[in-house]
Parts: sequence; structure tokens; C-alpha cells
Amino acid sequence: MEREAIQVKITIDGKETLVGAGLTILEAARQQGISIPTLCHHPALSERGGCRMCVVEVDGAPRLAASCVTPVRDGMNVVTVNARIIETRRTMLEFLFAERNHHCMFCPRSGDCELQALAYALHMDHLTVPSSFDAFPVDATSDYIGLDHNRCILCGRCVRACEELSGCRVLNFHNRGPATLIGFDLNETREHSTCTSCGACLQVCPTGALYHRHRTHYAVKGHSRNWQTIRTVCPLCGLLCPTVSTVRDNDLIKIEGIVPAGEDRPDRGILCHLGRFEVLKPSGRRLLHPMARQTDGSWAETSRERALDLTVEGLNRVRDAHGGHAVMGLVSGLSSNEELVCFRDLMESAWQAGAIATVESSEFQNIYDLGPDNGQPFTEASWRKMAEADFILTVGAVSPDRQPAVGNLIRRCLIEHHLRSAVIGPDDFLYPHGTHHLPVKNKDALLLVRLISNEAAKGMKKTTAAAGPGESVRPIETVKATDIVKRLHLDGTAQIVLHEIIRDFVDSVNPLILVGENVAAQADKTGLGALVNLARLKGLDHDRRLRLIVLKPCGNSMGAWRLLNRSGRKHRARAGIKGGLILLEQDPFQGAVDLKIPDDLGFLAVISPCWPDSLDDRAHVLIPKSSWRETDGTWSGLDGCETVFRRKMLDAPAGIQAAWQTLADLAVRANVTSGCTTWEALRRQAEHEMQKEAIGEKT
Amino acid sequence: MKKPKLATVWCEACAGCHMSFLDLDEGLVDILSQVELTVSPLTDVKDFAFPHVDVGIVEGGVGNQENREVIERLRRQCRLLIAWGDCAVFGGIHTLRNGLSTGEVLRCSYVETAGTVNGVIPCHEDIPPLLDKVLPVNAVVAVDGYVPGCPPAPEVLAYCLKELLAGRLPVLPEEMIHFD
Repeated sequence: MEREAIQVKITIDGKETLVGAGLTILEAARQQGISIPTLCHHPALSERGGCRMCVVEVDGAPRLAASCVTPVRDGMNVVTVNARIIETRRTMLEFLFAERNHHCMFCPRSGDCELQALAYALHMDHLTVPSSFDAFPVDATSDYIGLDHNRCILCGRCVRACEELSGCRVLNFHNRGPATLIGFDLNETREHSTCTSCGACLQVCPTGALYHRHRTHYAVKGHSRNWQTIRTVCPLCGLLCPTVSTVRDNDLIKIEGIVPAGEDRPDRGILCHLGRFEVLKPSGRRLLHPMARQTDGSWAETSRERALDLTVEGLNRVRDAHGGHAVMGLVSGLSSNEELVCFRDLMESAWQAGAIATVESSEFQNIYDLGPDNGQPFTEASWRKMAEADFILTVGAVSPDRQPAVGNLIRRCLIEHHLRSAVIGPDDFLYPHGTHHLPVKNKDALLLVRLISNEAAKGMKKTTAAAGPGESVRPIETVKATDIVKRLHLDGTAQIVLHEIIRDFVDSVNPLILVGENVAAQADKTGLGALVNLARLKGLDHDRRLRLIVLKPCGNSMGAWRLLNRSGRKHRARAGIKGGLILLEQDPFQGAVDLKIPDDLGFLAVISPCWPDSLDDRAHVLIPKSSWRETDGTWSGLDGCETVFRRKMLDAPAGIQAAWQTLADLAVRANVTSGCTTWEALRRQAEHEMQKEAIGEKT
Repeated sequence: MKKPKLATVWCEACAGCHMSFLDLDEGLVDILSQVELTVSPLTDVKDFAFPHVDVGIVEGGVGNQENREVIERLRRQCRLLIAWGDCAVFGGIHTLRNGLSTGEVLRCSYVETAGTVNGVIPCHEDIPPLLDKVLPVNAVVAVDGYVPGCPPAPEVLAYCLKELLAGRLPVLPEEMIHFD
């Protein structure tokens, strides 16, 4: 029987009530609408019972009990508030204030401090105990997270969040007694620790001990009463984490994960350093006016109408001179499905463009080109399976720059349910956390996969002869293990690790393979085939999907791949490109992207929220657009399994249109009749296409 | 009936609490018709040679020898001592220096400040020496009432004085307790 199903009768503040057995007094009281102050308690974390703010009187006992760790018992009589309880709580609070320096200059102005809110609520108008005035160090070595020990009350929320939410176990208590400090690793500074800067600790910190380096000063934050919160979705990677953005005067104050309610997602609502910190940094100079290249090569401001006309004329000229195949359309993987549909339709119908692809990378899809095999669908597993797998083999890099959230999720699984994991590739992002690691180059990684695939198939034939494998297992080629070992100069240790990996795979029930984008981009079809073969060895997963996930560079890379490659069209050719239109986004990694476009384009128009520095010398027209922060839209996740709507967080600067509006205006000028002249129509169209894709995949 | 006597002193603080007191504007007239303001930065009377006041009010923490003497003397000469503002109640922003020794504080302020050339630490028998640490008033003498705030709003100060005039020790209601 469920624990909750058994009810016990307790009396809270004189009122008899039935509550589920196994609840704590705090939970029971809150269910009854009775508020009890807490500090070290956090709904997303395990209980500690350390701060004693939540003390209550149980059965009139002389010693008060911490309600957050005391379970209810039949016949229990609980008093949550009387003079003695208030006095005790206030005294405990005064100890916290007196222990370290809480003469804070920020919290009174911002009102953003749980400790201060408790002081108000408990009517703490002075301290009855002398303050210690001992000075503690401040760790400001990180670009993201500051740690001021003077503000720390040692509630341990950050320590628990580091282990239970982000799976890092970097934060812990150091020293004893009044000298106790929160510390990173073995008392490292933040910068030299193994911290991944996910910021979960910062989000749960009830004081300003862990603080945001760039958004702490009240001159930036303002008072919390003037804040607005917006529930939206972080678009930077395919996990599309739900977030709560705090905005003041059209300025981002903070972005937080939905931690207490994050239970329906295996990542429990934690974010990464990109989604939490990087997006708050100003990225690039904002493009505020349409610009046109003058005959002398300089830029001049122009009207929006003129810029649109120039774009259509320029692209028409290229098409008329060289044909549609010479026109290229590049679009950021940080664009919504609506923008992608609009862009593709315009490029196809107005200029019959030969190449339509994403800016970041058009090659991670090489693995999809293998197509269905034996009538088996090539449908990737849901990213949620990462939390259910018992063995995860990562081929290539789980890049801390691109996929930190994936790394966080895997690390927590390593701690929580003894997931076994291995990385074959150049990156050792997961390695310090109990993962086998074979450090090889991306192309060699595929060579090793060929070996593992064959060896595992052989191993499984031996072990599963009785059980009968779900899928037919056939080695796709014969590879000699010794040859590969020799070719890659694997030493004894590496060979042992290799055998461990093969054994782990054979022993696993629910394995999953993560493919780094650099690996999926390899031209080695045999290697990629071996990868898919390996993923099929243990049969399809419960959702009839392949046990494989291709990591992609941007939040909507999957949506882009599906929408741009509609009906099997390949828009990849980059040869003979003479002109094009590029739709850029405000991307924290934009600087690192190599667009690989020729220098001598006849015409190039760029629609971008920021000044496109890398294209400054090649573009002819620049048209500003609102950034992803300022645009609504639907996005498809890492695996294309789910499509979510994300709300804009900010308003675009005055006079700047959304990309779809600009594209629709271009369509009018190019004399293309488009069904998508309104936002609603566009949304319906995008939704319809994504549904069609999903159905097409199943059949 | 004789008007009750009030003394206010300004110790280690920015005078913001007295400014807030002045911000009572016409309310000040009303209050002064009911109390006699003796020693105060507002009257510029600094002479403590009167026998007794009913209520003493302190703005600021105790940071130097003079502060200490003033507070101790006021405590002896008043019936009720009220601490006004975060500095008097908790120590306030001045406690930032409590992590440093007084020597370091003086050196930082007078010698090492950016832009200071050939700085000299002032030294004269009229300059009161710094205490080791800045302390809230209740760490030095007994205090009867607390009005936190930086500064407390004029209406909070008015509430405090009205309570005193009504013969009650001021205890601020929750909505009036603010540290800003």
C-alpha cells in the first residue's frame, strides 16, 4: 500500500485533521495552509533540520522539534505558534545574524534575501547576542559565481543541491564549528575546482553568500517588487529546459530553473552556465538600423523598405545570372519552427535556392543519411532515456561549451543509480566522475566503435543464446581487433578499458549511445553504420526508438533538420554559391562558428539581431531583427519527440521587427504568394509540418 | 504639566536619521510643542551639564572613545535610551572596518588612498582614538527601544515618539521594520 494512503489523525494548532502517514509535520502543516518559517528546508532537496527555524511544540514537550524532519504520528498534538516558539525562532535567527557579517548593503535595497525576510517576519528589531565580527574570505575567482563566506549561514542547501540536483559533489563543508566553511573540492578556489557552474547552488542559496557576479548590485537589480517573472524555455541546447526569467524594465535580472517543480523532467530543473549566466552577458553589438553597402564599400543607414528592396533585387540578380542553385539560405539553429518554415518557403519559392541549411553545422546529420535500415526506422531515443539507461556510451565529445546540461544529467545518474558510463573521444568532460575514458580522435572513435560493435555482437551471441535477442544481430564487416589496437597505438591500460566497455555493453539491459556532433559529421559511413548497428544490438527501446541520441549544436537543430530537409530534399550543396540570405541569431557561441561561405559572393543579405562581425566584409545588406530573447515561437527538442512553445522574455527595441515579419515582407516584394502572412497562420503551418514529420517517422 | 525632555546624539553615523527626523516637516512643530528638545544636533546644544532628560535618542554606532563617553553619559542622564537607525541598532555599515585593525583602517584612509601623496595619519589630543571595533549601542550600554532602518522613515520616527509620549516603549509593528 502507498505510504500516503494510510492516514493518521493529528491535531495542529487545536484543529484535528487527517494527514498521510509518513509526511513530516512541516508538510502536513503546509497542506493545511499553516505556514511555518524555514531556512535550510528546500522543496527540491533532502531535509537537514539544521536551522531550527521550523521548530514546533509536539505534545507539550519541553524540547521543541524541527518540523521539517519530524514525521507525523497518530494522535500527535502540534502547536506551530506560541510565544515560546516565536522567541526560540527569533533567538536562533539572531544567532545566524550574529555569527557572521550580515551588514549587507544589497538585500535591504533589493528585498531579495530569505534571511532578511525572516528577520522581518520574526520581528527582529535588534540582536540580543553580541555579533562576532570575524572576517571570512571571499572567493571571487569565478566569472559567474561569487562566494562570500561572510554572508553564509551554513544551511547546506548549496551542498545538497550540488549533489542531489547537479550531480557534481563539488561543494561540501570544510572545517568544524564556527570555522566551518562551504568549500569547493579539497578547498580549492572556485576557479580551480571541478565546478561546472550550473548555478544550482546560487539559485537555492537563501542569502547572498553565493551570488551572481554580474547581477547582484541593486543598481542593476532594483527592488524585487518591481520584478516580473516569465516562464519560458531556454533554447540553447536540445534539452529545452523550462526556465523562470526575472525581468525589470525590459532588462534580464536572472534566469532560474524550475527547481521545485522540475520532477517531471529527469534533470530536475537545473540549468547550465550557458543558460543561466552566459545569456545575461551582452553578446555582440546590437544592429539597430537596416544598413546598405555603398559603392565605396562603406556602410550607410537606410530605410527598412529600401533594405528589403535591395535584398530582393540582389537575390533576383544572382538567380537570373546563375540559376537558383547558386542561391544559398543559411539559418541559425536558434530559430523557431515558424521562422524556419517561413525562411525555407521564401528561399524555395522566391529564388529556388540550391542550398538551405543551418548556420552552425549542416553535417551532424550525416548519420541520418544512412536512412532506414531493414525497414527499421531511424528514430532517436528521447533524451529522457538518459536517466533510465544503465549504460551510456558517449562517442565523441559531450562538449561543456555546447551540452553542459547533458553532462550534468549523466553525472547525477552516475551518483544516483550507479549508471555505468564510458567516453570514447577527445573530451574528458565526464571523466573525473567515474567514467571509463578512451582518449582518441573523432575519426578513431568510429574505428573503435566498429571494433566494439563486432565484439559486443559476438559477446551477446554467447550470452543471449537462450534469451533470444530482440533484433537480428549481424556484424556489418569483419574487423580484426588486433589491427585496430595496433593502428591506434592502444596501450595495455587502454585495451583493458576497451574490454571493460565491451563487457559493460554486453551486460547492460538498457544501454544508450550518445553521439557527439563532431562524430556524426564524420564521412566514415562504415563507422557510422557500426554505430547504428551497436545501438540496435539490444533491440529498440520501449518507445520503439533507436538506443541512440545525436547531440546537436543548437536548441532547434532537430527542428531545422526536419523542416529544411522536408520530403527528403537535400539542401547541402555549397559549390557554385553566388549569393544568399543568412538569418543569424544572438548566440553566445556565434563567434566560434565558421560559416564556410565563399568570399566573392555577388550578393549577400544578413538578417541579424547583432552586427555580424564575421560577415562584415562580405555582406551587402544588413537588416535588424528581434533576438530569440524577444521572440515567441515553437521549438523542437534534441530528439524531435516534443515541441514546446517558448515565450519571449523581453521586448525588441523600438522599430525592430521579428524575423518572420521581415521574411513575409520579402515574400511580398518577391511576388511570392505565401499562406503565412499572419503569425497565427505561420504557427498552424509549422505545427502541421512537425506533426506530419512525426507521423512520417512512425510509419 | 512640564514638557518631557528629549536629548538626541549623533555618534558614528551619517546623520541620515536626524535628516529623517527633520523630514517630519510640520510634524516637527507638533512634536516640539509637546517635548523640550535639549541636547541635539538640531539645537546645536552639546552641553551635557543639565541634570536629567526623560528620553535619550542615539543615532550611530560606537566607534571611538568620544562616542563611548557620550553614550555612557547619556545613559546615566536619561530614563529611557532609544537606538535609532541600523548603525545604533546593529552597528551598520561602519562595521565593515571590524575586520581590520585600527592601524590598518587609518593607514587605508589617510595614507594608501588612491590620489593621496605623502599622507599623514592625523594625531592630536583633541581627536578621539578609534575603538578596536564599531559596536552597536546595546553592546556598550543598556538600550530600551530599537528603531531599525537606514534611515527609519519619518513616519516611523513619529510613531516612536508618539508611543513614548503615550507612556509606552516603542515596539515597531512588522510593516515598519525595515533595514533600508
